[in-house]
Amino acid sequence: MIVAGCDVGSLTSKAVLMKDGRMLESHVIKSKARPWESAEVVMGEVLKRAGISRSDVGYCVATGYGRSKIEFADEAVSEIACHGKGARWLLPTARTVIDIGGQDCKALRLDARGDMEKFITNDKCASGTGRFLEVMAGVLGLALEEMGGMSARASNPITLASACTVWAQADVIQQVNDRVPVEDIAAGINNAMASRMAVLVNNIGLERDVCMTGGVAKNDGVVSALEKLLGIRIKRIRRSDPQIAGAIGAALFAAEKATGGRL
Amino acid sequence: MMNEFMEAATAIESGPVKKWKADGGRVIGYTCSYAPDEIMHAAGILPYRIRGFGAGEMTIGDTYFGPFICSLPKCMLQLAGEGKYAFLDGAIITPGCDSMRRLDECWRKAGEDHPGVVPRFFFHYGVPHKYTDYTIKWFTDETRRFIAEMSAHFQTAPDEERLRASIKLYNRSRGLLERLDVLRTGDTPPLTGSEALAVVIAGSTMPRELYTDMLEGLIRELEQRTVQYGDRIRLMLVGSANDDVDLVRILEGDRALVVADNLCFGARSQTDLVEEEGDPVSALARRYLRQNECPRMYGDYRRRLAILKEKIESAGVEGVVLQNIRFCDLHGSENGLFERDLEREGIPCMRLEREYGPLVESGRMRMRMDAFLERIDQRRKSA
Repeated sequence: MIVAGCDVGSLTSKAVLMKDGRMLESHVIKSKARPWESAEVVMGEVLKRAGISRSDVGYCVATGYGRSKIEFADEAVSEIACHGKGARWLLPTARTVIDIGGQDCKALRLDARGDMEKFITNDKCASGTGRFLEVMAGVLGLALEEMGGMSARASNPITLASACTVWAQADVIQQVNDRVPVEDIAAGINNAMASRMAVLVNNIGLERDVCMTGGVAKNDGVVSALEKLLGIRIKRIRRSDPQIAGAIGAALFAAEKATGGRL
Repeated sequence: MMNEFMEAATAIESGPVKKWKADGGRVIGYTCSYAPDEIMHAAGILPYRIRGFGAGEMTIGDTYFGPFICSLPKCMLQLAGEGKYAFLDGAIITPGCDSMRRLDECWRKAGEDHPGVVPRFFFHYGVPHKYTDYTIKWFTDETRRFIAEMSAHFQTAPDEERLRASIKLYNRSRGLLERLDVLRTGDTPPLTGSEALAVVIAGSTMPRELYTDMLEGLIRELEQRTVQYGDRIRLMLVGSANDDVDLVRILEGDRALVVADNLCFGARSQTDLVEEEGDPVSALARRYLRQNECPRMYGDYRRRLAILKEKIESAGVEGVVLQNIRFCDLHGSENGLFERDLEREGIPCMRLEREYGPLVESGRMRMRMDAFLERIDQRRKSA
């Protein structure tokens, strides 16, 4: 049976099709204003790519902030559970998952079976989220993908005094005006992201192996900085795009639910 | 019947309060569960627990408190500044915590800029942070000072006989709340957690005679109620003050049931009775100082943990939500200890930091609750 996972996030929406534990197709789009529109577009595209129609999908689980608004989904599961499930599929030895999404960041610990043991999300502000990074990249005139590589080329990373996205933005503008090299500013931003995340991870307690999911997992500057702060190696996900971990988890839940398996 | 409790719990000036005032009755508001209702009741005054429920903005609250402080007293001041508490003839501020203590000076200061918002009887009621012989004596003296000042201002003194009658009445209603708690924590609870909270909150706003009668009727009704909440996950709600039934409704959704709580607007208010023999003032001081189960009291953590564990066991709780209002040092730090000690015993816990006031964070809250319930679901299936 073909199953689908649809993860409608605040910045991007992702859809995945799976069959017998194998991924058939995936797609990522920028989210639209309304979650149901994002879901329709991303699911339509992934079905088109796979050359199948919606009726070929036996079961669909939705996740992400818009999960309860997606009419074609059979069920909704929280993105925390989906990221845990997806991360485990991407890296079967994963026990701690760090996910940095568009507007939140979360850390979760899994037990030996892959069940959720503990989780935590940011609950204060947008600091340490994908949006933070996006805003800063905009100020520096860089593409989001360019931010990660900057850390390796930095010689003297700046320190951001404020945790607040808006005030940190003002800090960055000041540094740009002072002609501080862009690599040092970008590295400072990556380090700031990592330090916010390290607080969350330390809060739930680390268990090896540690991996990262979400779009920010592709930013090696943040991942490396986090490794230094946590004093641990973060295993890189190679099996597929870490950004679609939530959608993969949703599709895996869909497979379980379709066959009456355990959540 | 439940609708009447819900109405009293979701309106600042509810029907019974309006009627009390229309009949010429006087009302004293208090901010924290350490103020003994019985004293005001015995003086023929309606004791009313001041709330911050329904504050839509914080322009007044923020002006006097600043941004980095608990939003509960700010919402209380906001409502007071907007004139929503104009029906109060008096107000008591107790130092339940530092933020609440600051309400005393912030409210007085706001009164200089917004004439008429400070009730004419405005009393700071000191409450010690320890339960010992000398603090009981101190609190008893403070209670006598309150009685003297209230009596002088309102020209009505609660004599010993009336005090004893009030103690008896409040004890009776606490007994009824205990019966409600037994129904709620049983195998097939006939009411939701949000309904249970509404019932308790209503008691802090309406005349006690009316409330006690209504409570008796409600319990009879609930004993016959056939509503079943099926296989919902049984939760306990712990932490900062919450008088918003919608918060509990969001946490419960359609998959969970809050079968027990340890909240100062909730089940904490019914624990233990006031001794009916001996000097009534010192009996009240002993009960209120000892039995509030609030983390403001020093050196009491182990006892509070034991209370939680006992309730978790007896109510068949499957998960504990440890919530605190942002900047609440007392519950914020205690929740960390609870989480450590309860998780160690295999009881799933979820900490939730929130703002008091309009439920603007409901989406994020729901997401975390869903994940928490999924975690408990996984445990159920693995068992």
